[in-house]
Amino acid sequence: MGEIFKLGFILMFIAVIAAVALGYVNSITEPVIAEQKEQAKLDAMIDVATSLAAGELTFDSLSVPGLENPYAPVDETLSVVSVSDSTGAELGYLFVAYGRGYSSTIQTMVAVDLQGSVTGTTILFQQETPGLGANVSNPQKFLYQFPGETGATLLLAKDGGSLDAITGSTITSRAVTDSVRDGLQALAAAGLIPGEGGAL
Amino acid sequence: MSAMNELTKGFFKENPIFKQALGMCPFLAVTSSVENAIGMGAAATFVLVASNFLVSLFRKAIPAKVRIPAYIVIIATFVTLVDLLMNAYVPALHRNLGIFIPLIVVNCIILGRAEGYANKNTVFHSILDGIGMGIGFTLAMVIMATFREILGNGSWLNINLLGEAYQNQPLLIAILAPGAFILMGFILGFFNIMEKRRKGGDK
Repeated sequence: MGEIFKLGFILMFIAVIAAVALGYVNSITEPVIAEQKEQAKLDAMIDVATSLAAGELTFDSLSVPGLENPYAPVDETLSVVSVSDSTGAELGYLFVAYGRGYSSTIQTMVAVDLQGSVTGTTILFQQETPGLGANVSNPQKFLYQFPGETGATLLLAKDGGSLDAITGSTITSRAVTDSVRDGLQALAAAGLIPGEGGAL
Repeated sequence: MSAMNELTKGFFKENPIFKQALGMCPFLAVTSSVENAIGMGAAATFVLVASNFLVSLFRKAIPAKVRIPAYIVIIATFVTLVDLLMNAYVPALHRNLGIFIPLIVVNCIILGRAEGYANKNTVFHSILDGIGMGIGFTLAMVIMATFREILGNGSWLNINLLGEAYQNQPLLIAILAPGAFILMGFILGFFNIMEKRRKGGDK
């Protein structure tokens, strides 16, 4: 009996030291990581928004009545940011699309103009297979096809549209395409951009 | 046993991949590009050296009956530390490798060296063993990734070698999972032939 307690105590001792070390490092790195995520998101917003117009831009979070959330299945929420130029004229909208890919929920930042055409996209987060699905982060491989597409036309070639999927990564390509299209259609349904079922 | 031998035995003679056939999971999964292979090799080497050091340091304090859970806790702690620190201070590298860092916990090389070497040897030799095995692992990863990236993507370390035409229609299977198994067979076979030649008997 005594030996079991001794062994248990030693294991507990090791686990406590490990927990203290991890807790300490986590308390240092957590704010740094959060700050970096915020910064990365802001950089991506500015980066994508320059496809709407160059120059000084302002961002305003919009609360849109009647905006449906197409990302409920992946436990995320659609939120829309309005982009205006220095004179205050609205140029378009930014939103983040969430799509379930092969091994992660892919987050895509999308800029759309007031006519409902995609002007720019960038991947905020993905953990797809390196060498295959992860290529989605390389704009030259896939996202270059997005500008000019609308909620009605944004489909992979094998789903009846015109976008070429990344070779060997149909699931990843489809997740991004479908999540962006769902977002565009939700914006259209809420009357922000013209489109099927839109109020305009 | 000279210190030099402890360091260099991991390169080829006792290479963790080619000779001990440990760590096959990352060897198959993370070798689709040379960049990933180097990153994974470096991260695994760091954890290997740190865990070898601690396991060797406490080899007399940790009772034999609970050594495996004790080693797992030590290794998992280091992996989580690496994960947090990389996420905070080298976010670009973490974005590329993020998915593989937690996998180091289940890399058998690290537990294998803790169990097979560090708990019987001095701290100094254990650190050398960790460095040597880490380099051997990284070397094996890079060899495999070289074949896979050139065949499957026409490039090496993201440098385009075979031209646009090849990249549009590459031998895609090389970077897919079945290609990894096929190439692993060839590479292990090659090293077994070399080993037989070296020993002189080919019967």
